[in-house]
Amino acid sequence: MWLMGNVIEIEELTKVYGWLPWRRTVTALDNLTLAVPEGAVFGFLGPNGAGKTTTIRLLMNLIHPTSGRALVLGKSPDDVKMKERIGFLPDSPAFNPYLTAREFLEICAKLLRLSPDRRRSRVEEVLEVVGMSAHANSKLGGFSRGMTQRIGIAQAILNHPDLLILDEPLVGLDPHGRQELEEIIFRQEEEGTSVFFCSHILSDVEKICDHIGILSEGHLICNGPIKKLLSETGLNVAVVPGGDDAATKLLLDATSSERREDGGWDLVLPIDAAARVGSVMKAHPGQVSQLPLFETLEEFFFRKVGRLEEKEGRGA
Amino acid sequence: MDRIMAVAGGTWRRILRMPVVYFLVLCVVALVGSAYRYNMLSLGMHKTIMMDTSLALNTLAAILVAISITFEIPRELRSGVATTLLAKPLGRTQYLVGKLVGISIAGLVITGMIGVGFCLVFITAFDRVAMSMVQGHLLVMGSVIPMCAVGVLFSVVAPDPLAAVLTALVIWFGHSTAAVLGGIPVLYGGITPDFNIFNLKAESAHEVAISWWYILLATLWGVSFAVSVLVVSSSFFSRKDLR
Repeated sequence: MWLMGNVIEIEELTKVYGWLPWRRTVTALDNLTLAVPEGAVFGFLGPNGAGKTTTIRLLMNLIHPTSGRALVLGKSPDDVKMKERIGFLPDSPAFNPYLTAREFLEICAKLLRLSPDRRRSRVEEVLEVVGMSAHANSKLGGFSRGMTQRIGIAQAILNHPDLLILDEPLVGLDPHGRQELEEIIFRQEEEGTSVFFCSHILSDVEKICDHIGILSEGHLICNGPIKKLLSETGLNVAVVPGGDDAATKLLLDATSSERREDGGWDLVLPIDAAARVGSVMKAHPGQVSQLPLFETLEEFFFRKVGRLEEKEGRGA
Repeated sequence: MDRIMAVAGGTWRRILRMPVVYFLVLCVVALVGSAYRYNMLSLGMHKTIMMDTSLALNTLAAILVAISITFEIPRELRSGVATTLLAKPLGRTQYLVGKLVGISIAGLVITGMIGVGFCLVFITAFDRVAMSMVQGHLLVMGSVIPMCAVGVLFSVVAPDPLAAVLTALVIWFGHSTAAVLGGIPVLYGGITPDFNIFNLKAESAHEVAISWWYILLATLWGVSFAVSVLVVSSSFFSRKDLR
């Protein structure tokens, strides 16, 4: 049953590729259960071959599940009408090379049943948003990877979607393009669009997403709000100028320390030194302040999935 | 309907924007025109030769268009063009119908251009063109739809080189039905495609009148055959995993 407030609900979804008896079968997804809350920017992470693209293709009804079920915006993925409310950017977007960017977007707008007037104005709008107005009449076959990606983004946001599904949207984009895409995603989020975002670039995911799910070998290994998942790894402690006594007590435990120009101290202490910091703060009121230090998404990802070298070592 | 026409638009535009298409049409018309020079060699039968050549080459063009769809659909599936379209509110059957309509429009335009080119050449040479000759070319145009439907069927069930070979075989078989299966009336013109009904070269070449009813019924058979083949294609395609 669809729970209000989730844009995507996946229940025990399994996908096994290969059915010919003389060929090896591959389990791309194994009993995946996942929910993406409405309004979230959800980062779907995992190493290559984890099953991210398979999940997206199942959600878009491009492939059929072996077992289990999924609901997108409360509807089954094979509901064609539901796709009027979805924007989708595939992992390597490809378009008819003989069409111009404008013609292709007009075809997409027709498929989305936009009225002729709305179609024309919306196509111009999205071309402007992705910075491709100058290339509107150029044939898609002559576009670079980055330009193709921009047109892919344009077709995905053409219908002001309720749910935007992006498979590796940052691949092929230059730093400007990546920044622009981040802005587009933030704008979509402000307009109330939920975003399901699949990427390898963890620093961007950390910046853009508020929820993440990590997939490994077809299994979901964690899922939730990014702020809850990333644990505290230490404390950032600042000591005011003249607080040398307090600083001396803390320096013993500090993993890094730096004397500021004003005579104060900036220290980083491990999380197990929290009690000691507390007692120093009590003993020297007003001289010491602390802020929790969280692990990065990259550290979290490797902690959960394991480093490639470790995996290879395990395999050997 | 809008969605089907949107897919069809992308397809026929792609084909009709290829310069090679117009070069081939020009070659066909030039080849038909050159038959005028066989006056002496054929003891005055050059008119018939021109008509026969034009219909044969126009049929060949229609077959090439039908075979081209067997490369077009697998290429779109492989490259991800189809994925982008099918992620929009477009059913898989609508996609296939759109492809068939698009390729048929391209085929009709190409065979139509050859037909018009033939008429212009013929009028230039003999000051007139018989109605049966025009009807012969119209029948070739009518054969585009069922032949393209065969191409669509094989393009969803087989990889592209095999789909092209199978389509060519079925079209050859369809044009030879009377010869190959003449003694088996159950199959003839029924389950197996009978493209011979679009082949009235003899009547056209010898200016024997063809009934408009015949042309209408042949076209209707072509459309109903295409619809049946599309139903089968769609049932395969709807179960297919798209990579």
